[in-house]
Amino acid sequence: MHGPQAEISREIFWNIVGPGFPVEQVLLYILVVGAILLFVRGLVKSGFVTRLKVAFEATGSDVERVNDPWSRLWYTLVDIFAHRKILKEPYQGAFHFFIFYGFLALLITTIIVFLQADVIWPIWRVWFMKDGFYLGLSLFADIFGLLAIIGVLMALARRYFFKPKWLDEKGEDNVILWYILAILVTGFIIEALRIQATEVNPASPMNPYIWFSPVGRTVAFIFAGMSEVALRDTHKVLWWVHVLGALGFIIYIAYSKLIHILMTPVNIFLRPDTDQPPIRTMPPEMFETAESFGIHNVEEFSWKDFLDNEACMRCGRCVEVCPAFNTDKPLLPRDVIQDIRSYVNQKAQIALDPNGTYQVLADDQYTGPALIGDGISKDTIWACTTCMGCVDACPAYILQFPKLIDLRRYLVMMESDFPAEVLDVFKGMENNSNPWGIGAHTRADWAKGLDVPIMAEKGEAEYLFYVGCAGAFDDLNKKVAISLVKLFKLAGLDFAILGTEEGCCGDSAKKIGNEYLYQALATANIEVFKSYNVKKIITLCPHGYNTLKHDYKELGGNFQVFHYTEILDTLIKKGKIQLKHPIENLGTITLHDSCYLGRYNKIYDQPRTLLKALKSGSLVEMEDHHAKSFCCGAGGGRMWMEETLGTRINQKRTQEALDAGAKTVCTACPFCYTMISDGIKELELEDKLQAIDIAQLVVRAAGLDDKIPKAAESGEPKQEEATE
Amino acid sequence: MNTVVCLKQVPDTETLIKIAGTGIATDGIKWVISPYDEFAVEEALKMKEKMKAGNVTIVSLGPDRAIESIRTALAMGADTAVHVNDAAYYEKADPFATAAALAAAVKGLEYDAVFLGKQAMDDDSGQVPAMLGELLGIPVVTQVIKIEVADDKSKASVTREVEGGHALLDVSLPAVFSAQKGLNEPRYASLPGIMKAKKKPVDVKKAADLGVSDGPKTVVKELSLPPARQAGRIIQGDDAKAKAAALAKALHDEVKII
Ligand code: SF4
Ligand code: SF4
Repeated sequence: MHGPQAEISREIFWNIVGPGFPVEQVLLYILVVGAILLFVRGLVKSGFVTRLKVAFEATGSDVERVNDPWSRLWYTLVDIFAHRKILKEPYQGAFHFFIFYGFLALLITTIIVFLQADVIWPIWRVWFMKDGFYLGLSLFADIFGLLAIIGVLMALARRYFFKPKWLDEKGEDNVILWYILAILVTGFIIEALRIQATEVNPASPMNPYIWFSPVGRTVAFIFAGMSEVALRDTHKVLWWVHVLGALGFIIYIAYSKLIHILMTPVNIFLRPDTDQPPIRTMPPEMFETAESFGIHNVEEFSWKDFLDNEACMRCGRCVEVCPAFNTDKPLLPRDVIQDIRSYVNQKAQIALDPNGTYQVLADDQYTGPALIGDGISKDTIWACTTCMGCVDACPAYILQFPKLIDLRRYLVMMESDFPAEVLDVFKGMENNSNPWGIGAHTRADWAKGLDVPIMAEKGEAEYLFYVGCAGAFDDLNKKVAISLVKLFKLAGLDFAILGTEEGCCGDSAKKIGNEYLYQALATANIEVFKSYNVKKIITLCPHGYNTLKHDYKELGGNFQVFHYTEILDTLIKKGKIQLKHPIENLGTITLHDSCYLGRYNKIYDQPRTLLKALKSGSLVEMEDHHAKSFCCGAGGGRMWMEETLGTRINQKRTQEALDAGAKTVCTACPFCYTMISDGIKELELEDKLQAIDIAQLVVRAAGLDDKIPKAAESGEPKQEEATE
Repeated sequence: MNTVVCLKQVPDTETLIKIAGTGIATDGIKWVISPYDEFAVEEALKMKEKMKAGNVTIVSLGPDRAIESIRTALAMGADTAVHVNDAAYYEKADPFATAAALAAAVKGLEYDAVFLGKQAMDDDSGQVPAMLGELLGIPVVTQVIKIEVADDKSKASVTREVEGGHALLDVSLPAVFSAQKGLNEPRYASLPGIMKAKKKPVDVKKAADLGVSDGPKTVVKELSLPPARQAGRIIQGDDAKAKAAALAKALHDEVKII
């Protein structure tokens, strides 16, 4: 007998442990210890420990991971218990929530039972599992157990009836769900058998409270006709099945994606504490001293990158949002992580010596499969637009695409291996500080005839208007630059441009992997900014915005940087710009969120506020917007590369705008503007859809225009093409 | 296989050219390797890689600044360089004086082939390859778009571009080859290449060190820019016939081409 027969309670180990020496109870302890040992052995067998050995050899630099541990802990707990990120996807969020809380409740119940039966009763002879507390616990466990079953069924339904194309399919995925279901169902059956054998009897003191186990009670109806002996025999068998199943589950954690139960919280705790996904820093001195740049050996990743591999449970949220995947390119961010993981396994097989010590082999000693090429294909590496969709979606705070940048860096800086189109882009940036390679002396030609203040003449200004290459050289985007200077002048803003002293911000070079070139460009700009004592900068382009605001810090450039949408928003709110002129023919407007404004910098509201302030047209959202906005396809240097694989990202996005019923797509980024405009042309939608930058609309609503003045139109004759 | 590449540093093709006397104003210019010479560098490197042996030596005539372009070629993979750094000589050098200085520098080297661009992107004279061959006393093949060297390095079969077609010819080595567009795609210097280039040996010489004294045989008298591009004009007229007449008149009277 276990514990006193309190009136309202139940006997723990009912029907399992008989009077006298509790053999079964001791056996259970042995089994629990055994399961834990087998779990540890599983960590070895599954390759987890081996991968850790490789991780210990990791040499890559990393960002601060444990600063402010208490707030990290708090963040982690909130993230886990509130399912902050997980619930961003309602359906899968919900079933994870149910399974999670179901399991947690059952775990808590089990622990309470353990404390009662194995600690408190044997030592102090106190029985607290009774009366109201017992009934409450009983109800609690039943309800949460049922929730868990509902969760598992929802997950199974998704796998069997409406499987999304981005969902991975491995054997373990189904096994895990059926396994959990079996444990939960057997749990309810043994409860039902016990209830049928005991509480159903009107003489039982528990009889009036029988519905405090609503699920167990309901299931018990099935067994209503069975004899007590049969009930007891079935109960005994199923009890052991249930217990062994539960213990087996513990072992299975080590062998399957269930390890995320342990590793994901660790990864959340260690997440980078910046909003921008950190791209590995390369201190300038490194270019003088280091032998190799970027990553081509897996050990060159950081320890945290290895941890990322272990925390990934293959949920596929990163794949769902990836523009490359969604246009049939061979890039699935989940697979980048999983492929690095299996590559580590593969390499470990070769590089482990007979003692099981991991040897880092030099390039000329190692003959196994290569990380770049065999582990991750070059097409994968070049397909990424650095849209940050994956990083933003990942509930485990894994950095997927920054790893691709490391690989690009190796390819570009060590091997000069990149898409052929990029060569001219690099040369253009090197020689003329713009990706088009247009003569640097023409950088300020767009401003001719507009009487735009130039730093060199003005000396200093409150704001530097950093125009960027697109605003300065691209005909479409010059109109944006022109609109902005007109608006700034209208508002009486104290600003100036750098004119020909301005250089390319370097974002494309950086994201393509040419950090050396990026730093040369960035350092040149920082020097010029400092020479004019610049404090505040307005950028036209979100890429420049992100680079100047965050990346320049690493090179000693600390400036207060604003995107023009922020500035216009403020100027309008202050009444410095008044939008009184209705704009014809806008129809229904939709906003295409730029990745580098939205996901990178959380600027979602200002562009929308500006559009509403126009008081023309009506605003609708596309299917993907805000944090889930779908990239235009131009980020990460993709602007300068041919898109030969799969379908075109810009066309997909353009189609989305059309499907939303929009007549006007607004952008606040030169790349997006170009890509969507091209999409409209390519899909021959000119009569249905138009693309325009927000600045151009604001300038019109303010009663001005965005026309390129005559003076800026006729440049000098262009010289003959270099190598024609 | 040892090769020599002669290269010239020229203004980037996008540079705004300003005339100063009989030359151009050099302030604010971004200097680069003349694009055709870049093909020459690439071809020499490819040949070295294919033969798995030999040295690529860069020879350039130019002032101090030319070292940057020499380093770029070294970063691409060339091994050594001779920099004929003689501003006074360079200032006055015409194609002949250039070829004379280059020939004098090349003579001191061991080589199986000399590569250079078919013309420099700045003055476009296109005479140096032929003169160089003459001064070195070896054959010259110009406008080359493909070169295959025999294993024993005794000869090469070469494809050169001729008006409207290709000519295939054999030439004994050593020889001078001038590169035409299409020969190859020049590589982008890798970062280790750039770092290593800083330490590669560059032999700096004056024209006098090489024993060249022959002055230029031509003198530039005047340099002028092409006329500024005119804005387009829409021919006016009441109907197609009138417009055609107006167009014909304009072509005849103003443009004077009919
Ligand atoms: S990387 Fe993150 S989002 Fe992608 S599958 Fe793994 S856990 Fe899910
Ligand atoms: S950054 Fe964007 S394109 Fe690149 S892998 Fe992530 S989701 Fe895909």
